[in-house]
Amino acid sequence: MTARSVKWWSRVHKWTSLICTLFLLMLCVTGLPLIFQDEIEDFVKFETAARELPADTPQAPLNRLVDAARARYPQRFVQVLNWDQDRANIVNVFLSDTAVPVPGKRLLKLSFDSRTGDLLEEDAQEGGVIRTIRIIHRDMLMGLPGELFLGAMGLLFVVSLVSGVVLYAPFMRRLAFGTVRHAGARRVKWLDLHNLLGAVALVWLFAVGLTGVINTISLPLFTAWRAQVLPELIAPHRGKPPLTKFADLDEAVTTARRALHGNTPTSIVLPTEAPFATPRHFIVWTKGPTPITSRLFTPALIDAETGQLATARSLPWYLRALQVSRPLHFGDYGGLPLKIIWALLDLAAIVVLGSGVYLWLGKRRSPDTTAQVPHRSAVAAASTVSP
Amino acid sequence: MNRRRQTTADIFRWPLWLGLLTAIGLASALFGDDGWDALSWTALAVPIVVLGWKVSRPTPKP
Repeated sequence: MTARSVKWWSRVHKWTSLICTLFLLMLCVTGLPLIFQDEIEDFVKFETAARELPADTPQAPLNRLVDAARARYPQRFVQVLNWDQDRANIVNVFLSDTAVPVPGKRLLKLSFDSRTGDLLEEDAQEGGVIRTIRIIHRDMLMGLPGELFLGAMGLLFVVSLVSGVVLYAPFMRRLAFGTVRHAGARRVKWLDLHNLLGAVALVWLFAVGLTGVINTISLPLFTAWRAQVLPELIAPHRGKPPLTKFADLDEAVTTARRALHGNTPTSIVLPTEAPFATPRHFIVWTKGPTPITSRLFTPALIDAETGQLATARSLPWYLRALQVSRPLHFGDYGGLPLKIIWALLDLAAIVVLGSGVYLWLGKRRSPDTTAQVPHRSAVAAASTVSP
Repeated sequence: MNRRRQTTADIFRWPLWLGLLTAIGLASALFGDDGWDALSWTALAVPIVVLGWKVSRPTPKP
């Protein structure tokens, strides 16, 4: 590598890092408690479990739960039902204030015993420290624009990682891997730490950074898919009045099960104009039976009037990529030990980011002292040989 | 600083191996539970242990 290309890459590394570092630091700091959000919420929040009943107790009709929710809140609109992931025999019914939910506005969650149909608890899903941290981490309380902005910062971070790898070689030319020079100037020690931590955490930083970027475009991706699939399915019904009478939910679930053999239904989205729904169908989301396919959700669209299957094709590659990128970003797919590893690597990332800022500040304050030593010799070394 | 010049292969040997272990660790927990999870923890623990060791080790005198 020539001295000129080293200089060019340092410039890339400096500017991409400078622009994204503050936001990345925010993401790392807010991300730390989010790694353990399930554990924290279990600890803080008491959730009612469904009562013990004989194993062969039949499930109540889903329509009865929806009717109960509507009877309790006649002014509200039922949007989604899901089978609780963590609690057996509990179905949650989600209601909004408006017919089409306002983006970012929390839905009211009613938890029912799925066999007796008894209402167990209500949760407005508002407030709460963890929830607030989650929203800050996702979009800085600014909705989709904030989310896309953080995605752009994530892309800069990825570029800064690439440039960091390129620069690693000239800097380490005369240093053994993992050398931390404690004896010399403090700056030199932090440069060594920056290089060491960055090199060791690199693949994790890449994985979490890229999957984070993919997550920020989840809504646009889903909207794109919807725009691709829906027009054809909706066309025959265009111009007709909106549905008032719906087909039976349990029959819709049975139809979905038959269409996607082996999959387990996880939730049902009722027909609305919301971006996550269709105006004409129940969307029955299902997951696969194996550990890896249980991360891959496939929807079955059931005509909400006739109860007929509209489509149950598997999702396009970009939504599959999105689904796989979720666990890889959250680190919630390998038990508590994996979460602890995630937390340690997150701390390493904070040190890499912090030391980067420190090195930049130090360089600005003392442009011609010891600070330059590693750099200048690296450039000289790099310029003599081009591999 | 007086160490001999290393080749690019020398420089990237350790980061490459640790990166490979990280990739194995990240992927394996996706494939299953129990054994796959254990493989994931072991593979990911190695880079962290190496990090701890390198950071805490006193400066070797040149």
